[in-house]
Amino acid sequence: MQFFGGSATTEASLLPAAPPGTGAGGPGNNAHMLYIFNRAGVCLLYREWNRPLRTLDQQQDHKLMFGLLFSLRSFTAKIDPTVVEKGNLGVPLLPGQGCSFYSFKTNTYQLNFMETPSGIKLILITHPKTGDQREPLKHIYNLYVEYVVKNPLYVPGTPIQCDLFTKNLDQYVRTLI
Amino acid sequence: MGREVAESCIDGVIIEMVSAYSTRFYSSKPDVAARRIEAIGYQVGHQLSERYTMERPRFADHLEAIKFICKDFWTEVFKKQIDNLKTNHRGTFVLQDNHFRWLTRISLDPAVVANTEAASEGESGADSGAQMTSMLLYFPCGIIRGALTNLGISCAVSADMSNLPACSFVVRIKA
Repeated sequence: MQFFGGSATTEASLLPAAPPGTGAGGPGNNAHMLYIFNRAGVCLLYREWNRPLRTLDQQQDHKLMFGLLFSLRSFTAKIDPTVVEKGNLGVPLLPGQGCSFYSFKTNTYQLNFMETPSGIKLILITHPKTGDQREPLKHIYNLYVEYVVKNPLYVPGTPIQCDLFTKNLDQYVRTLI
Repeated sequence: MGREVAESCIDGVIIEMVSAYSTRFYSSKPDVAARRIEAIGYQVGHQLSERYTMERPRFADHLEAIKFICKDFWTEVFKKQIDNLKTNHRGTFVLQDNHFRWLTRISLDPAVVANTEAASEGESGADSGAQMTSMLLYFPCGIIRGALTNLGISCAVSADMSNLPACSFVVRIKA
């Protein structure tokens, strides 16, 4: 997958500045892939920057990812030992409420997850040594709102094809450690 | 002074209005949809210009009124001024905005068009994208027309979007 030229766009003033990453990060990228799903399980975006091994075909890959995260979220909420009453499981919650996992780590990669109250799920797969990616995921969600939701030409529920969004996303991901 | 509203709400309402008129209400008759959108803009411009010229004296001539539109009116509505104003001194003015606020988030074409099948779909996609953008631009045309009519200048306004996000509005004053 190739990177886009990433010349700075003039809309820099519309967004808050991305949190600065340390280190110039060489030609490789620490982020491997990004998935964005909506509430119904439609994969709105799948971007990959660095994925040497592919095991499943595209459709199965998306279905597996969505099903896994749905179940994992319900599971982590169900066995939460600190909360007495569990609300409706499977329903997207506000960021502070409820119990939701936000990442899991293996020895070769780390999967970071964020779900917004509107049901948009962001999944970012990175190198295992990257830290907590909740802030970067929030920033990516901001990018999504600015360039996709507010785009007059975008039909909600369809895969994203916005040039501005992908350009800014690539640019931002390159600043991540 | 008045109550305030988040800008995202205005963006959302305008996007939905344009999309509703062009794809749901008059999907088979785009020129009727365009006229309706422009009429809504006319009302809005009419009322806005009333509000923004409350304390000012009457305008001396057409050029003064157009300059008001370019500076104060545009600043109130879009938070910036018109970047370039051209005239032929015979009733035609071109107002150019290099970074039109409602067009900053439009990206017309998908980034990569791999094969010919995708290319033909991409073309129709680009066409409908261009059509939606031109529908969207009827609204500010109506705003300008309404504002100028309220100042006593009857005119016709059209938009030219050859390179986004810059766009120019051509105002032809009816003599």
